Amino acid sequence: MQGLAFYNPIAAAVYFICAAGVAMFTMNPLLLALSCAGALSFDIALRGLRGRQGRLPLFILFAVMALINPLTHHNGATVLFVMNDNPVTLEAFIYGLNASAMIIGVLFWFRSFSRIMTSDRLLYLFGRLSPKAALILSMALRYVPLFGRQAKRINSAQKALGLYKDDNAIDALRGGLHVFSALVTWALENGITTADSMSARGYGVSRRTSYAPFRFGRADACLTLLCVLLAGAVCAGLASGALAFRYYPRIVSAPLSPLACVSYAAYACLAALPTILEIGESLKWRCLKSKT
Amino acid sequence: MIAIENARIRRALKIIIPFAAIPFTVLLGGTVFSARSYAFVSLAVAALSVALFISGFEKKQTGARRLVIVTVLIALACAGRFIPLIKPVASIVIISGIYLGGEAGFLTGAFSALISDFYFGQGPWTPFQMLAWGLVGLFAGLSSGVLKKSRAALLVYGALAGAAYSAIMDVWTVLWYNGAFDIKLYIAALGTAAPYTVSYAASNVIFLWVLARPFGQKLERMHIKYGI
Repeated sequence: MQGLAFYNPIAAAVYFICAAGVAMFTMNPLLLALSCAGALSFDIALRGLRGRQGRLPLFILFAVMALINPLTHHNGATVLFVMNDNPVTLEAFIYGLNASAMIIGVLFWFRSFSRIMTSDRLLYLFGRLSPKAALILSMALRYVPLFGRQAKRINSAQKALGLYKDDNAIDALRGGLHVFSALVTWALENGITTADSMSARGYGVSRRTSYAPFRFGRADACLTLLCVLLAGAVCAGLASGALAFRYYPRIVSAPLSPLACVSYAAYACLAALPTILEIGESLKWRCLKSKT
Repeated sequence: MIAIENARIRRALKIIIPFAAIPFTVLLGGTVFSARSYAFVSLAVAALSVALFISGFEKKQTGARRLVIVTVLIALACAGRFIPLIKPVASIVIISGIYLGGEAGFLTGAFSALISDFYFGQGPWTPFQMLAWGLVGLFAGLSSGVLKKSRAALLVYGALAGAAYSAIMDVWTVLWYNGAFDIKLYIAALGTAAPYTVSYAASNVIFLWVLARPFGQKLERMHIKYGI
């Protein structure tokens, strides 16, 4: 058993599309609760209980967004209280809570997505889809830090020449523009050199190949198939209306059918999958370590 | 997946995406994700439109020099997103659209959004950002004759593009939060985003005012010197 990060990027991307895709577009409260629980536990499994980048801003966002809906929407049958001549209803409150749970769940999924799908993995995916887009992507990703370093170098060169001072905002801005102008000229000329070198090595003569350190093995195929099957079960439940849930004017839920139970179970498995993989990986690591 | 590297299948994609994939997502949105069909369909169509544009670009023969120059502009736009408060991204996208053509403008916009989101966080908003910035570049390229001649038109276009970008992104916020379009929430979203809208529009105007001419001269020079 190994963590999601050790699978082929295609398998990992399919997983995220299935898990976050369902969570992004449903308003069923149980599915949303499962999505939030799965995403949060995966985030904790990846970053530890005290993640360095705090989860607090996301929780504050959750509270703010949950309150927007009851304050702007006044339909719903159960009036809780009246504020500024506007009724605040239970239905609007619960809808807001769910909508904000959906958004926070997806944001947590994407936090893990950014952690797992690093740029080399995304590059591998894009390279399959469009080699030219992948080439642009990889070159631009390399240029961003390169230009940053070059800008610093130009800046210190100009400082040494005594071309500008950082006394006031306008002077600093003018100096910044000098640096930027020099940077643009350098970047364009440097780009031409790169392009000529590419042509000299045969760019455009035949199809571009790229080295990818990922192999699509049996485990990847299993994970992909499992994700598609589980997501298919959830989609079947959503399409048949077994998971229907209405908020307005009164909260009405479809009766719990066998199909609904299957869908819930499938999504629970799907949401818990990466956390289980991650915990299994760390258990294996611990066992191997204690033997030596 | 390997099949997509095949040129014939890529050509087929050009037909499949508008005539099969987009209607299919609309159908899927109506049945499976009925609670959020608008959000689902709009996101899927945004992503597919970008994919359609890129598959068209993939087919074309692009010289190495042109490709690298577009990449340099993308990287400059991304690096510019680190500047606090004022953002030169849209103005660089507009400039590349004017001087290198609509396609280059679209690519600069779409890829700047994608790459800068590696640093600022990917999310479901990425396809929308790609499409919105791409369209800013595309329209700049289509109206390059006017924008090159008159500075006033260029500044007006910059301000409009900043405001339009913000307005498009707020449509997505409302669709995603509420499931359907709601004018009250949209106005609330526009209101909370107003400082950003103003900063987008203002930074576009400032950067186009300062950068357009020297940047254009540099690109013209590249054109004369290297024939791009």
